[in-house]
Amino acid sequence: MRGTLTLAGKDLRNLLTNPLFYVIAALANVVWSFNYMRGLLQFAQRSLAMSQPGMEAGLSLQREVFLAHISYVHLLFVFLIPALTMRLLAEEKRLRTYDLLLTSPVTATQIALGKFLGGLGAVSVLILISFIYPLATRAVGAYPFVPLLAAYLGLLLVSAVYVAVGLFASALTESIMLSVIMALIFNLMLWFVSQGLGEQAGTAGAVMEYIGLGQHFTGFIMGSIKLNSLVYLCSVIGFFVFLTQRVVESSRWR
Amino acid sequence: MIEVKNLSKNYGDRAAINALNFTVKKGEVVGFLGPNGAGKSTTMKIITGYMAPSSGEVQVAGFDVFENPLEVKRRIGYLPETPPVYHDMFVRDYLTFVANLKGVDKSRVKTLVASALEKTTLNDVAGRLIGNLSKGFKQRVGLAQALVSDPEILVLDEPTVGLDPKQVSEMRDLIRQLRGQHTIILSTHILPEVQASCDKVIIINRGAIVAEDSLENLSKRMSGGGRSIHVRVRRNQDAVVRAIAGVTGVRKVTNAGNSIEIEADAQEETVEQVAALIVNQGAGLVELKVQSLALEDIFIKLTSPGGAA
Repeated sequence: MRGTLTLAGKDLRNLLTNPLFYVIAALANVVWSFNYMRGLLQFAQRSLAMSQPGMEAGLSLQREVFLAHISYVHLLFVFLIPALTMRLLAEEKRLRTYDLLLTSPVTATQIALGKFLGGLGAVSVLILISFIYPLATRAVGAYPFVPLLAAYLGLLLVSAVYVAVGLFASALTESIMLSVIMALIFNLMLWFVSQGLGEQAGTAGAVMEYIGLGQHFTGFIMGSIKLNSLVYLCSVIGFFVFLTQRVVESSRWR
Repeated sequence: MIEVKNLSKNYGDRAAINALNFTVKKGEVVGFLGPNGAGKSTTMKIITGYMAPSSGEVQVAGFDVFENPLEVKRRIGYLPETPPVYHDMFVRDYLTFVANLKGVDKSRVKTLVASALEKTTLNDVAGRLIGNLSKGFKQRVGLAQALVSDPEILVLDEPTVGLDPKQVSEMRDLIRQLRGQHTIILSTHILPEVQASCDKVIIINRGAIVAEDSLENLSKRMSGGGRSIHVRVRRNQDAVVRAIAGVTGVRKVTNAGNSIEIEADAQEETVEQVAALIVNQGAGLVELKVQSLALEDIFIKLTSPGGAA
């Protein structure tokens, strides 16, 4: 436990004190703030039109504004999280600090878990920053809060999937470049496996639909927490952390 | 403290080490010596639990390295060939991190970090980024890292490689100071390092041990109890060489141009006779040095093809 936390703390600190993190956070916020502002103003105009006498006031802030915001956050994460996680293990190998980890009294499981938590911690900071947008909107108008939290839980889980995938990619190679590209490809695979399936795809199609991240993430964004989605996302995270653990462990018996 | 039995490691078809057997007692300082690629680093990596052997076993402090890796790792401080330092960390933070990683008691972390900084005289740079330090300082941070958990055993893989002469002698002093507090295994291919700091030498060549003994015994055994005499004269060198060859106890005389190298038995009488002879000849003796066979000669004898003892 202590080994895990020591490693997680070190990696979180290294990630958060790295200039790369600030570049990523700044660029992401440029995109988010531009789109959020535009979405919110459009929403204001339309809801003004809707509130004319005789019309139902049926516009949801969650569906119209937050959904687009979270989609943008997610879209950037597909590309940015690999850039954050790429160094987790690849750099340790390149700088030979991996020797230190492997000769310290910590298990491969602790190494994999510590690294995962460190990476997830850094991503959580980005998620918190993106949470400021809807939070600030509360100052100008009330909206139901719980669906928003559900959507953010989904975002956190999907981000955790990307961190686990990035960590696994990083464990496979000494090259940071290769690590980031592999992570990106894995992320896109998880996303695109369920794309473009027609009705005729049958059982195989249903399985692929289930494997893809899209269906599960959409549920969360719409404000509903489904048990099967929770189980699915946690399993994928566990699976990739487990694969990382195997790769780390393998260096002992090769 | 450390028992190695029939240890072998193959990289693919190539055997890096082949059936090594040796033991290291508590408190000993053992020099692990061999030419490049002899298998020194491989052996050390297996002892530290970094990698598994192809066959054989290693016991450290009574624990098997493969059955009980965590117990073994807790007792070993390891300095690999490249110091395992994070360039974007401060020296003190780095050592604190390593102490925590090694599972040192929380209450002792601060004291141990301070004492590791003290021992390696790193206090002046404790607040600097490791990436900005010179190679010698990085090496010292690497050593501090090995020391910080106050381990029973220190495994140092070529601790002086890449250091300048002053830093090399500082590193040797440091290792000498550590003797007695830790059991130390250090590998090197630099001979004076072993002469300066080790109780016992293990010479390894092409993956096999060719000699394992104390430095004294080794040089006695290898030279057959003889010594070499180095002489420089101002005049009549050829005549002197011919004359010395006739002295009883002298085994071999070589005319090495500006000096004469003599291999003789261990009797002091022989030296006396040689000296008297040169003086009587009026050759102008300027230098005469007696030495038992040096480690360097032993090393070359043992590691050159067909030279094994």
